[in-house]
Amino acid sequence: MFVARSIAADHKDLIHDVSFDFHGRRMATCSSDQSVKVWDKSESGDWHCTASWKTHSGSVWRVTWAHPEFGQVLASCSFDRTAAVWEEIVGESNDKLRGQSHWVKRTTLVDSRTSVTDVKFAPKHMGLMLATCSADGIVRIYEAPDVMNLSQWSLQHEISCKLSCSCISWNPSSSRAHSPMIAVGSDDSSPNAMAKVQIFEYNENTRKYAKAETLMTVTDPVHDIAFAPNLGRSFHILAVATKDVRIFTLKPVRKELTSSGGPTKFEIHIVAQFDNHNSQVWRVSWNITGTVLASSGDDGCVRLWKANYMDNWKCTGILKGNGSPVSGNSQQGNSTPSLGSNIPNLQNSLNGSSSGRKHS
Amino acid sequence: MHCHLDAPANAVSVCRDAAQVAVAGRSIFKIYAIEEEQFVEKLNLRVGRKPSLNLSCADVVWHQMDENLLATAATNGVVVTWNLGRPSRNKQDQLFTEHKRTVNKVCFHPTEAHVLLSGSQDGFMKCFDLRRKDSVSTFSGQSESVRDVQFSIRDYFTFASTFENGNVQLWDIRRPDRCERMFTAHNGPVFCCDWHPEDRGWLATGGRDKMVKVWDMTTHRAKEMHCVQTIASVARVKWRPECRHHLATCSMMVDHNIYVWDVRRPFVPAAMFEEHRDVTTGIVWRHPHDPSFLLSGSKDSTLCQHLFRDASQPVERANPEGLCYGLFGDLAFAAKESLVAAESGRKPCAGDRRHTIFFKRKLDSAEPFSGLASSALSVFETEPGGGSMSWFVDTAERYALAGRPLAELCDHNAKVARELGRNQVAQTWTMLRIIYCSPGLVPSANLNHSVGKGSSCGLPLMNSFNLKDMASGLGSETRLDRSKGDTRSDTVLLDSSATLITNEDNEETEGSDVPADYLLGDVEGEEEELYPLDPEHVHPEEPEYVLPQEAFPLRHEIVDTPSGPEHLQEKADSPHVSGSEADVASLAPADSSFSLLSISHTLYDSRLPADFFSVLVCDMLRFYAEQGDVQMAVSVLIVLGERVRKDIDEQTQEHWYTSYIDLLQRFCLWNVSNQVVKLSTSRAVSCLNQASTTLHVNCSHCKRPMSSRGWVCDRCHRAASTCAVCHHVVKGLFVWCQGCSHGGHLQHVMKWLEGSSHCPAGCGHLCEYA
Repeated sequence: MFVARSIAADHKDLIHDVSFDFHGRRMATCSSDQSVKVWDKSESGDWHCTASWKTHSGSVWRVTWAHPEFGQVLASCSFDRTAAVWEEIVGESNDKLRGQSHWVKRTTLVDSRTSVTDVKFAPKHMGLMLATCSADGIVRIYEAPDVMNLSQWSLQHEISCKLSCSCISWNPSSSRAHSPMIAVGSDDSSPNAMAKVQIFEYNENTRKYAKAETLMTVTDPVHDIAFAPNLGRSFHILAVATKDVRIFTLKPVRKELTSSGGPTKFEIHIVAQFDNHNSQVWRVSWNITGTVLASSGDDGCVRLWKANYMDNWKCTGILKGNGSPVSGNSQQGNSTPSLGSNIPNLQNSLNGSSSGRKHS
Repeated sequence: MHCHLDAPANAVSVCRDAAQVAVAGRSIFKIYAIEEEQFVEKLNLRVGRKPSLNLSCADVVWHQMDENLLATAATNGVVVTWNLGRPSRNKQDQLFTEHKRTVNKVCFHPTEAHVLLSGSQDGFMKCFDLRRKDSVSTFSGQSESVRDVQFSIRDYFTFASTFENGNVQLWDIRRPDRCERMFTAHNGPVFCCDWHPEDRGWLATGGRDKMVKVWDMTTHRAKEMHCVQTIASVARVKWRPECRHHLATCSMMVDHNIYVWDVRRPFVPAAMFEEHRDVTTGIVWRHPHDPSFLLSGSKDSTLCQHLFRDASQPVERANPEGLCYGLFGDLAFAAKESLVAAESGRKPCAGDRRHTIFFKRKLDSAEPFSGLASSALSVFETEPGGGSMSWFVDTAERYALAGRPLAELCDHNAKVARELGRNQVAQTWTMLRIIYCSPGLVPSANLNHSVGKGSSCGLPLMNSFNLKDMASGLGSETRLDRSKGDTRSDTVLLDSSATLITNEDNEETEGSDVPADYLLGDVEGEEEELYPLDPEHVHPEEPEYVLPQEAFPLRHEIVDTPSGPEHLQEKADSPHVSGSEADVASLAPADSSFSLLSISHTLYDSRLPADFFSVLVCDMLRFYAEQGDVQMAVSVLIVLGERVRKDIDEQTQEHWYTSYIDLLQRFCLWNVSNQVVKLSTSRAVSCLNQASTTLHVNCSHCKRPMSSRGWVCDRCHRAASTCAVCHHVVKGLFVWCQGCSHGGHLQHVMKWLEGSSHCPAGCGHLCEYA
């Protein structure tokens, strides 16, 4: 069962993004009021705002944390056409500001000529890299060659998507078998029925990102996109927030079968599609193991989705934005993310032919 | 609707009846008629062969009383008036060459036909009476260049001027000696200002500091009412007709768009026009009472008419919600308050919320405004035990991965899993134990049988099996299938909780077998009880005999090489060798019904299950990984070690390891993470904890660097880094005082410091262990 803890955010306009850090103890929020706030969890579990500062001269669409190995680093992107990298400075605050941490802008990425709609740090194993996408349909990938110097970023790649981009997601897989991959969603609302999700893959030979796949079935504006954390899976799971929630699996077709050098081919399946939000879905977010998906939509509710052993995705909980519980259609208390208690599960796996082997 | 101009425009102005628009620029000065679908060029005012600097316009204004009268401000400081009523081709009327530098702005008095005001780069404003040849009065701003001058719409005598130093001045036209009021409005130049058409006191100013500010000028001191933050310096600002809180802005550089803001929501533009490809230089609402048409001129040489209805709306596109899954299963959720609050009473709106009807109404009705938008932020926390990730942390911390015999590890881990309520995982561990430990343990039982009792007990078993197999004429392959079937049924049995007891019985049996391995022949009686192996009894219960079957090879190995216990530890015995050994050894007690070949076959097969299982186990590991439980995959991989490693490709293993380590680090389980790194066999993983940290160790006695890896200094031949408390060599966690450099085992020093704050080495230092 979930307990709602309401937080007085005190942002002066809409909050567009919330982001937990790597360890789940800090939270950053960004808002149209052009500011970013950082919240720290106290021992008692309360969230305290420890920093709030003006980051941009336009709505801040997204905020994201870098891996803590690179320091306490945030990136934000905004309507003002820039993305910025921020670093927390410890020990320089004077007495007056004690308790308030101090964030310094390390760089401003000004390459976009339109609103920068999303910013995401690449998975740690790729180094200190950052991807942005903008309303003019260009995904830009930056790299800080020296991880100790956050003020130097070089633009490594510019990928043209042809459509106004709204969201990006890195494939988090750390496997050497999976090339760096980035999925891009578009919120282009023009009536032409073009596919709104494209997936680009890094090609070692050409050292460029090339389009690997297009999800042809997604033709409505996409508001959010998220790869599930890949904990040793051989395939990838991608959640798409559009007019409904969709979950895709992307299974790489074995390399030997495809011509080497070309982009990886994928076997793409849509494994779930839910229109329970009854309207636009704005956000999707995976839990840490990639087994539960949370989505939020215009109905002001958060819905949780989980697959059973048959790979059937079901709603396992509904949470209302104002904290009041919704008569859930399932017992959330029992839906531990653990795999326990599903006895037929294992049976299937050891029978060999079912789910376990199917994925391999 | 737009049309192409021949040259970049600097300013636009509409005539009173909103039917024509004048466009002026450095090399253009034309009048266009605004028709239903297009602009039609009516008049080119740039006549004459020689291009004169007088025609290079910085600004143009059309008189709002007299539709034949226009004024332009030239870049060379000349103010020109034009009379469209002149019959000749040249419509130029009057020329005022009084300013010394560029005239930035000209402005007609809103109600007085003959009064024209100009503001120039030279810092002066001049008021002209068009009936005279020169200026009536000159106003000196006493500050920098004048960027804008605007007559107040309501106050007959008042005008406002803005300056490059950030000041705004308010003048009475009758008092040229000094300004009525002056205040600093912006940081940096104030490029523009506009009086509110209805609210007499409101003045909007825009500056290079990217801000638009709305001032109430009626109070004694100008009061800042609103402040809009735009993304680029503000070049023009124009109040939207009929909408009290709307104003349009365009930028001086970088940004080519035109924005319409609701000053009450100062962060997000209400509408946005994105047609221009270069800087927009002039904007004007087409009709003073129509809020829907906006005209604009741009450096990209186009003149546009924008329909407010067609504007893109960043507000609508903006994401009203934020959602993030936390590490412990908690969810942070921020949502627009109206979405959350209205939810209870509202029926879910079907279909797209960007429905056109909704759209139109929202835009065209006189600014619906439901207060400032705000979001509600809440964190949904999982109650302890309910869906949180505590199971992961507990499991990671309590699992034993190495340092004990396999059976114990499996048992321990199964127990841990069961205590955490993860029954399936517990079952898996138990099964692994059965699969991998039985060959080592049950065989000892059989060994006892065969050694102690000869063929009476051990062989009938084998007999029965082989006989049966041979009788049914099954080849080795079909037999493989069958044993697969067996394991399946086994699994099924194990899974149902009813057979759990049976399962545990099994364990007990095995447990009691352990000593049997070392005490040969000591447990015969017990063995007999445990395995009442009558041939008749054997046939009906095949699964029971899978385990005894596997026992054979080891028996012979022990016979041949008396190093049984060692073997138990190694476990990874080659089935081939043992198979052939068994083959030879079993010759002695062989029944006449056996052919040599058949025995060797059987034994080979009976050894095979170890390999066979490993395929199955690998599948299971993959299954766990695919299900998101990489912890199980890695734990089993480490515990089983060589037994399964070879069956899973290196890359996958590495992937599992890195994923698991990443997860452990997220939960700050550094010790477990390091243990996993240490135990991993993947080279890429095991070097993880050796990167980026270099330890330089010096001997604590001779203070010279330790060259070897051991604990003894090469030079002084004494044990380095001994514990000051127990005087033993410290391996592992070492803590020392940075003041006196004495230290020792973390535990010991901690304990010592509870009683004393002096150095345990007796050096008298008051130690500080941070």
